[in-house]
Amino acid sequence: MKQVIKKIITTVLTLVIVSFLLFLAFELIPGDPARAKLGTDATPEQIAALRAQMGLDRPLLERYVTWLFAFFTGDFGTSYSYSMPVGEMILDKLPITVTLTLMAFCMTVIISIPLAILMAKHEGGITDSILSAINQVIMAVPPFFSGILLTLFFGVLLKLFVPGDFVSYDVDMGKFLSYLFFPALAIALPKIAMAVKMLKSSLLAEMKNDYTKTAYSRGNDTSGVLYKHVLKNAFLPVLTFFGMALADIFTGSIVVEKVFNIPGIGRILMTSISNRDYPVVEAIIMMMALVVIVTNLCVDLIYRKMDPRITVE
Amino acid sequence: MKDASKKRKNYNFKIGCVITVFVLLFVLVGMIWTPYPPEAVDASAKLSGSSLKHPFGCDQLGRDILSRVMAGSRITLFAAFGTVLLGGSIGILIGAFTGYFGGILDEVLMRIMDVMFAFPSILLSLVVIAVLGPGNYQTVLALGIAFVPSFARIVRSEFIRCKELEYVRLARLSGAGNLRIMFVHILPNIRPVLLSSLMIGFNNAVLAEASLSYLGIGVQPPYASLGRMLSEAQAYIFVSPGSCIWPGLVLILMILGFSLMSDGIKTEVHERKRWKRKKVY
Repeated sequence: MKQVIKKIITTVLTLVIVSFLLFLAFELIPGDPARAKLGTDATPEQIAALRAQMGLDRPLLERYVTWLFAFFTGDFGTSYSYSMPVGEMILDKLPITVTLTLMAFCMTVIISIPLAILMAKHEGGITDSILSAINQVIMAVPPFFSGILLTLFFGVLLKLFVPGDFVSYDVDMGKFLSYLFFPALAIALPKIAMAVKMLKSSLLAEMKNDYTKTAYSRGNDTSGVLYKHVLKNAFLPVLTFFGMALADIFTGSIVVEKVFNIPGIGRILMTSISNRDYPVVEAIIMMMALVVIVTNLCVDLIYRKMDPRITVE
Repeated sequence: MKDASKKRKNYNFKIGCVITVFVLLFVLVGMIWTPYPPEAVDASAKLSGSSLKHPFGCDQLGRDILSRVMAGSRITLFAAFGTVLLGGSIGILIGAFTGYFGGILDEVLMRIMDVMFAFPSILLSLVVIAVLGPGNYQTVLALGIAFVPSFARIVRSEFIRCKELEYVRLARLSGAGNLRIMFVHILPNIRPVLLSSLMIGFNNAVLAEASLSYLGIGVQPPYASLGRMLSEAQAYIFVSPGSCIWPGLVLILMILGFSLMSDGIKTEVHERKRWKRKKVY
């Protein structure tokens, strides 16, 4: 319990450091947002007034604390280019990206685990060799290119979906989910390949342990040994990978959203970066950072739950 | 059964070498000679498929795709080398000093590295690019910074493992200074681990650069990087799928070659030393 609390404190500390670094990074950008907003022919008085209104005349640390508190109370600031609250801009796009992330993550977990078990069971056989080779190639395909290939194959050749024909979740839930299937697959494919490779080698390593022999000698067949004894131990290192994969998928969706023309968080982020709309960029990146950090914490806590050895140390 | 898998893994290394040599040759030839200048426009061949004149076809402006892929893979490769060079050297320095000396420096730097490591590299590089603005050097800088922690962590754990070994003690007895021990004695000894992690880093760099360029905030025109070509060609995927497929294929080969090689090296190290990578908590 003590360790859990310690871990949570470290996480909060990490969050503070990350948010401060992020805030600082955007402070270092040369140029005055007030001047940028008013244009070149603004009088110094106008600029000073706007600076006061935007709070730019206060000290750095004070502004940071205000910003951080505002962030956690859901006030993400105002967009420079649209003059509307960032929260509003993000809020209705968030479900799209989150759905995409979760779909891709579920695919990764559902496909990779049985596949890895299958390959470990038939290690060295033809099935294993062929799957390993395919796996190795898939790992080398960048998600956006697998997206393009999926579009080409399922969209253009087989006409299973219309590329670019995105339907929002508040219009038609079914169409929304079915459109997200291929984008999710595109993100998931490389992750599946990596997870399969890791889990398989982890399984094989565990199979060499003494307890496996004991399990065999007690009359279990290979399946019994695998499912009842080895899998739980072999799964531990992969758990960390799944945690990282979730964070990776969430941020990687930025790229795949572009491939499939999905108006999610990624698109806002990209337009905001090219428009130099810093409050939006700041808010989105901080949000993504929050997701990453919280995911890491959760993985760590689950890990402790599953592997009591860590708590003993 | 074990022999079979060992054999296959050794194949991995060889196949990886062959692919990488092929890609490097492709890039090298592209540095000296391309069938057409990458920016030359052949208006009569817009979006044409493969032909004798243009083996990979032409893009929407009538530019020869083979020539553009040759030039583009050079840009991608250079950006990735730059990234690994930058991230690797800073990472090795940080890892070496923190691992060898330990203490408060180690604590502080490694906490920062842990925080950075937890972040997907694309997020980190997005921050740097958002702050510096898009551009070629910014891309390399952004990716380089994003790759520091992974190298630093690996080098640090290797230094911690090595610093109390026999040969280091002997070197110390014979009067070698700390710097000499670190970079003349320990560093060459962690070569295999370093090499394979540099190769993985190289792969990630290729991937990250391609993603950034695909998003339009990586390498800027007039340079044609592979990611950029893909994003331009995607609009014409119905008319001319070839202009998407070729740049992507080269990208895959580039990544595949290095990942197979690093796999091979890892297996080799594993077989030889029974080296086991331990996670340092």
